[in-house]
This record gives sequence, structure tokens and C-alpha cells, in this order.
Amino acid sequence: MKYDVVVGIEIHAELNTHTKMFSGAPYHFKAEANTCTNEVDLAHPGVLPCVNREAVKKAVELCTALNLKIDPLIKFDRKNYYYSDLPKGYQITQQFHPIGKDGHVTVDDEGTKQTIRINRIHMEEDTAKQFHLYDETLIDFNRAGVPLVEIVSEPDITSGKEAALYVEKLRQTLTYLDVSDARMEEGSMRCDINISLKEKGSDVFGTKVEIKNLNSIANIKEAIEYEIERQTKALESGEKIAQETRRFDEKTMTTVSMRKKEGSVDYKYFPEPNIFPILLSAEDIREITEAMPELPDVKEARYKDEFKLSDYDAGQLIQNKDLALYYDEMMKSGKYPKTCCNLLLSELQGLLAKRNESIAETEVRPNMLAKLAALLEEKVISSKQGKEVLNLMLDGSDPEEIVKEKGLRQVSDTSIIEKIVEEVLTDNPESIHDYKNGKDRALGYLVGQVMKRSKGQANPQMASDLLKDKLAKL
Amino acid sequence: MNISELMRLDIAKRADASFKKVKEVQAILNASITFIEDDGVRRDGKLAGIPVALKDNISTKGIRTTAASNILDDYIPIYDATIVKKLADAGAVFVSKSSMDELAMGGTNRTANIGPCLNPYDPKRITGGSSGGSAALVACGAVPLAIGSDTGDSVRKPASYCGVVGVKPSYGRISRYGIIPYASSLDHVGYFTTNVADAALALEVLAGRDDLDMTSSSIPVPQYSKLLNADIEGKRILIFDNVLKAIKDDDILSAFEKLIAGLKSKGAIIETVHFRDDLMKCLFPTYFIIANAEATANHSNLDGIRFGHRIDGDSMEEVMINTRTRGFSSFIKKRFVIGSYSLFEENQDRLLRKAQKVRRLICDEVLNKLKTADVLIAPASGSIAPLIDSPSTDELNDEYLVVENHMVIGNFAGLPSMTLPLGQKEGMPFGVNITCNAFDETGMFTIGKAIEEISGLKDLTKEVL
Repeated sequence: MKYDVVVGIEIHAELNTHTKMFSGAPYHFKAEANTCTNEVDLAHPGVLPCVNREAVKKAVELCTALNLKIDPLIKFDRKNYYYSDLPKGYQITQQFHPIGKDGHVTVDDEGTKQTIRINRIHMEEDTAKQFHLYDETLIDFNRAGVPLVEIVSEPDITSGKEAALYVEKLRQTLTYLDVSDARMEEGSMRCDINISLKEKGSDVFGTKVEIKNLNSIANIKEAIEYEIERQTKALESGEKIAQETRRFDEKTMTTVSMRKKEGSVDYKYFPEPNIFPILLSAEDIREITEAMPELPDVKEARYKDEFKLSDYDAGQLIQNKDLALYYDEMMKSGKYPKTCCNLLLSELQGLLAKRNESIAETEVRPNMLAKLAALLEEKVISSKQGKEVLNLMLDGSDPEEIVKEKGLRQVSDTSIIEKIVEEVLTDNPESIHDYKNGKDRALGYLVGQVMKRSKGQANPQMASDLLKDKLAKL
Repeated sequence: MNISELMRLDIAKRADASFKKVKEVQAILNASITFIEDDGVRRDGKLAGIPVALKDNISTKGIRTTAASNILDDYIPIYDATIVKKLADAGAVFVSKSSMDELAMGGTNRTANIGPCLNPYDPKRITGGSSGGSAALVACGAVPLAIGSDTGDSVRKPASYCGVVGVKPSYGRISRYGIIPYASSLDHVGYFTTNVADAALALEVLAGRDDLDMTSSSIPVPQYSKLLNADIEGKRILIFDNVLKAIKDDDILSAFEKLIAGLKSKGAIIETVHFRDDLMKCLFPTYFIIANAEATANHSNLDGIRFGHRIDGDSMEEVMINTRTRGFSSFIKKRFVIGSYSLFEENQDRLLRKAQKVRRLICDEVLNKLKTADVLIAPASGSIAPLIDSPSTDELNDEYLVVENHMVIGNFAGLPSMTLPLGQKEGMPFGVNITCNAFDETGMFTIGKAIEEISGLKDLTKEVL
């Protein structure tokens, strides 16, 4: 390609605190319209903002995880503009003193590590949601005042794929830290792309285009790839790129112009007088960061080091935070990391997929699944019985109880199996004959007979070994 | 009328006269915007059954609150200000939402949307503002306690013009939650009484940390009324020379001199202090820029979308424009334009940020001198209350810049400050102002009590009926 691609990404993530950024009103995404608001969110005359301690804590965690320098002096500013979704007529944000500056993340593009710098993270509040009908507009103020962090990358991203990896990395970090639900489809994570092309190797940046309305990571990749193609074509045919905001259209998988940008808006920022600066002590910050949950990279390395899991298995587990946490829970009591991992990733996940259930919803407790792993590893039950037991565990039952109740216990007592083996050999002289004549199938038949007489409870490996032993002596 | 007198009555009867009187004086003073009807509920507490007037920028749940502006003409709040809850918990009975300058942006109380509030001592004269209605209701004996708010001197100036005690405690001493703001960094809740003992008692009820106001202080609230005495032996008093030098009125000057002599004879150490003249000339412009910059943002919520008096239009934008154009008077729009102008990115360094730096210099200048003293004292105004139809003052002459604006220092630095009656001229009262170190309200009341004893001007009211 003739051009270098320059992409910067701004991400807004809603913090999943119990209450709003500056008010005590609760917030639930699925709540009925205008039920999660109070006088502060509605900006009734005389109200004052009160900083949500939990939100600050979560922002500190996020900055730490993304390697930003934390400004211990928390300050807020007013961003002034009139809009019907902005009750106060200004948004409280951190224009002059963002909580974090100069961080970075590393993404893994099929083995190539790529570092993407983060310019800043700041805290602010969300606006209300508007529904434009034919001749009226409805406003739901539930979202007004919900805590947000804005994560602004440096323009270090050079492709749609890299952008997708970057956003996925941030999504994973946000969810592992439990600072945000980070659901693009629900708008708790929103992504704006800035993209321009420049002559290969040139220092002169091209005209920047902003892309909005991206509701999935896949769409981010698509939108950037489309935009690269569109801008390349335009440049090659000598057209000028307009400075504009475009939106991604999911139906056509293209970007469509929304509005041209003319000059910048003066938001008349000034320090919020109702919130005195809050100084976090070094101890406050240490307390927060020490209590932080384990991050995915660290977890993945630990799975490989401590549990000797393969790259693939470890990768699969950390892909989904709920799975990883489930696995961690299993390994608190479990002794067999590989079997635990297999049971979780293939067996349980498979069953849940059929039932349209998620790992977070299942009744199967991690310690119970770990018990099942032990029953299998310790040859108390066969793997076939294991599947049966897992099916019965879906209502939350204890696998040991199931084994007892159903009499599924695998017989591993040599004397019992030996007795059955002798009976089977006595009753099947022709099979002995066949075996001696080199028909290996006969052994399988005889093992089957032993299993049948033991009502499936004999340990098949032991049965086979004993049979071979006896047959050799005959 | 004062609180201790009323306390001698049966709790059920303490507010009876007030409910009647606030209505009776309305035709003469125009001091109330909304009358509150008696619900008959009486509660025990430090202010059990005591009638209280609330400035109309104080949010009262279910009771119309207009801040004297057309834009809020039909606004009925859904919540109570913190001080409303505190007063009610202490047994106070609310009788009136009192008049004020529109959105508290004024010093005359001429800009109320219901028309000017008139001075009980002479209804041809102003009460001063912006808390003029509250000052007038205390001055005419309708209530012993009325709440106001003070951004520049909006309690302490009307107290001077109406011959009552006006208190503005330290920034953060009283919660601002539920006070319709003017300028957040300068706004204080203040109040009027007819004597210092009542003032001390009222602050006990009003003060204290409020988790809904992050700027409110956690410093414990002393029992001001129990600590009250007039012992000023060894107290260091600073005479504000710049103010004295600029006052032309001999009656005010001689009354002030007499007061100083009295304070000296009670054992106070008197010193004269002269602040940098250039900084004193900046008081008004500094105040005007900061206050209006904050105000223009503070009132951006008044857009007709969620509450208040909406004027329709074809689009949401038009609704906002129509509502705001018709809802605010020209005085307010002028201030918004000035505030907005000083907030423009290209002007901020030259205006808002510079004003903030000057504010800091002024604070440092005064705080340095107060470090080794207890109180700064000066006449609260250079004159008695002006006539309502007097031409507007030249706001930039030297006398006005210092004499009529010096009390804003208490707002700049958040210092406790109060005005007490000092004397009378042509039947009109005038006052003296004292400003103390932050959170030394106890010291302020002590000096106030001594002034009250020297002047003998206690429990003054002016019957208008």
C-alpha cells in the first residue's frame, strides 16, 4: 500500500458502580425509563455534585492496569454546552487534570507484540438517552450522571485488525477488573475511531475522519478496513478527504457521512467550584492497587507455569473472565489442573451451550466439578460414567452423591474383577480359542462380557489387563 | 421581636402573629413572594414553634420556589434544602418565601420579578439585596429569624440598611445543598436576627457537615449560644483604613469612632490597617467576573425542558432559546453575557483566570494581617439605604469601589462576617461590619455581643402597620 494508516481510538466505558458519578441515585441498564434518577441527575435548581468514591477507586485500578501515571490530585471541570440530554447545561469532566496520563497496552497480533500508547484516562458523567419519535422526543434520564471513563489512545494503531485487538484488550481489562460491564451492544462501552491516511513514511498527517456508531468489535475492524479502502481510492483519484464525522452502517457494512466538522466548539471549560480538589495519598492508591483482581496476562502466565496448561487451554480460559474465575474457583480444591480444564472447557461448556446457559448461570458449582475431576482421575468412575454424572450434576447435585445413589461406582477391587473374569473365561471357551489364534477382537468381546456381568462397574482397564494375564497363562 | 421572647409563649402560639403579620405588611413592604400556610404542626427543638422566613432561592419541597425569576415562576421543588430539614427538625415553622433580587444577582432587591421590596424604616427606600425580603421581614418584626444567602454582601448589606443583625458564617459552615446558586465559590447561606444571642443560637441549628455538599466542613459545631459572652479584653481589632478614608458621611464616621472608643474601653487592642489600594480597587471587577462566569454555567439548567416555565418552540433548541429569552430579565442576561465572555477560551487568561489570581492576592493580603488579629472592622456601608428611584450608582468611582464592596472579602476568603446596627441618620439605620478568621464564629459572636452592648442597638424593629 502507498499510504500509512493512522488510527486513534477514544473509548467511553460506563463504570459499574452502584450509584451515579455525582449523585446517590442507583443505576441498572434494564431499569424502566426515568426510575433511576433523583433531583441531582435532573439538575433541579440548588443541587450539588458529590464525587462517587467507588468510581474514583475503579478509575485508579484501570489506570494502574493500563500503566498510566496517576495524578493523585483529583479535580473536575465543567464543559459547557446546551443540549436536551445534558440536564445541567454542562458536563462535569476532567479537562485540565485527567486522573491518568501516558500509559500503554501490548497486544499480540499472531505472535507479534505491538505496543499501543494511551494518552489519557479521565472521569466524567454520562448524558441522558434520547428517543426521537416522529414529532416528539422522549428523554430517559436513567443514564444521566452514570460514571464514565474516557480512554484516549495515541494514534499508534495501523490496521482494523490491530484496532480490534486493542479494543478487545481494553474490554478484557475492564471486565477482569470489574470496573465496567464493557458491553458494546448495550452501550456500556462506546468507541469512536479517528482515522487518516498519509503518504508512506511522511511526517505530514492526512485529514482526520471520525467514525461513530460502532457497536461491536467486529464492526470496528470492518469500519476501519472500509474506510482505508474508501480514503485510498479517494486520494488516488486526487480527491480531498473531508474533515467529517461518519457513522458505520451495519446493513451495508460501509461508513456514511453524518456531518462535516467546521472549526472547533468552545466548551468554555473551567474548574468545577462545587468539588474541592481531592488528594489521594500514596497509601490510598496502594490500598486500591493491592486489592486489585489478577489481570488476564498474569493469569495466563500463571496457568502455564503453575498448572502446566497448554498455550491453547490457558488462552481459552482467560478469553472469558467468568470461565477463568470458575477455573480459579475449581483449582482452590481441585488437584488435577488438566482434567479440571478439560471438564470445564469441553464437557461443561458443551452441555451449557446446548442448554443456552452461560457459565455464570450454571448450577454446577466449581468445587463440584473439581470433585468430578477427582472421581475420574482416581478411577472411581469411568469417563463414560463421568459424562452421565455431569449430566445429573446440572441441577447442582454433588457428583459423589450421584455415584453413590446410582451405584455407578467403578469396581477396581482386583479380587472381585478376577472372579468375574474367571466366570467369563469358563463360559466362553470359543473366544479363548479365537484369541489364541490371533483374533484380537476376542479380547474386546471378553472385556465387554466382564463389563456386562459387573453391570458396567468394573474398571475396563483392569478387566482387560486381568484377561490378558489369564489368557497368557492358559 | 426575638426568639427568647417568643419562647416564653406556648409552643402552639409562637408563630401565630407571624403568619398574620407577613401578610399584613405585604401591601407596604412587598417582602414575600409566597406565603406559607400554617399546617398546625409544631415540633420540639431549639427553635420549637419559632416562625422563620426563607429567601425564595431556598428549595422547599412542595412549596413554590421562584428565586424571584419568571423562568421559575411555576417551579415547585421535589426536594428540601438541607437547611430546611435542619430548621424543621429544630422545630422552626416556615411562614414566608421572601423576596430577593432575581436569582440573587443584585444588591438592591429592585430586580425581583414581583417588584422591589421596600424598607420598613422608609418605604421610599430600598432594603438592599439580594436578601432584601428576609431583612425586611425581620426588621418589621414579622419574624425573629429569616434565612438569606450572601454571595457578595447579600445578607450583610441589607442588614445595614434595615437595622438588623446579618450573619454570613465561614464557607462550608452551613450546607448549600438546595440553595439556588448565584456563584458557587462565593455563595454562603446567611441569616438575619434582631440580636446576637439569637444569631448564635440560629447558627447552632444551621451549621454542620452535609454529605450532599462536598464543600461543607466536618469541623464540629460549637454550642455558640452557651459560649456567648462580651469579654473582648486583649482582642486585637483591625480598623479597615481604606474604607474609613473613602467614607464621606460624618454621621457614620462619628458613630464608628464612638464604637471604637467603646471597644477600646472594654480592653480591646485597636490597630489601623491599610491594604494595597490597587487590590481594593479590584474588589468589584474581580467579584463581577468570577461570580458571573460561575453563574452563567450554574443557570444553564434553566432551559424549560425538565421544570420551570417552558415557552414552546418548533425544536428543542427553540424551546430553550424561547424559555431563556423570555424567562430572564435584562439584568440577568447582561450578567450571563459578561460571564460567558470571560469564559471564552480566548478571554479566559485575561479575564477569569486573572480574576482568580487577583482573588488569591486579595485573600493573602487580608489573611496575612488577620493572622495576628481577631477581627477586621469597618462601617458596612457609606450611606443609609438609597431611595428606590435614585439614579443607579457610578459603580466605578473610588468611593463605591471600596466602601460598597469591601464586604466581598468575606466571600473571597470564606471568612465569617456579620453586620450589626451601628446608628441611625434621618430615621434610617446604618450598620457596622466585622470579619474574623475562618471558623472563628465564636470569636465573631463575642465581638458582636460587645458591639451590641456598646451601641445599645438590640432587638430593633420598625412597626409599619
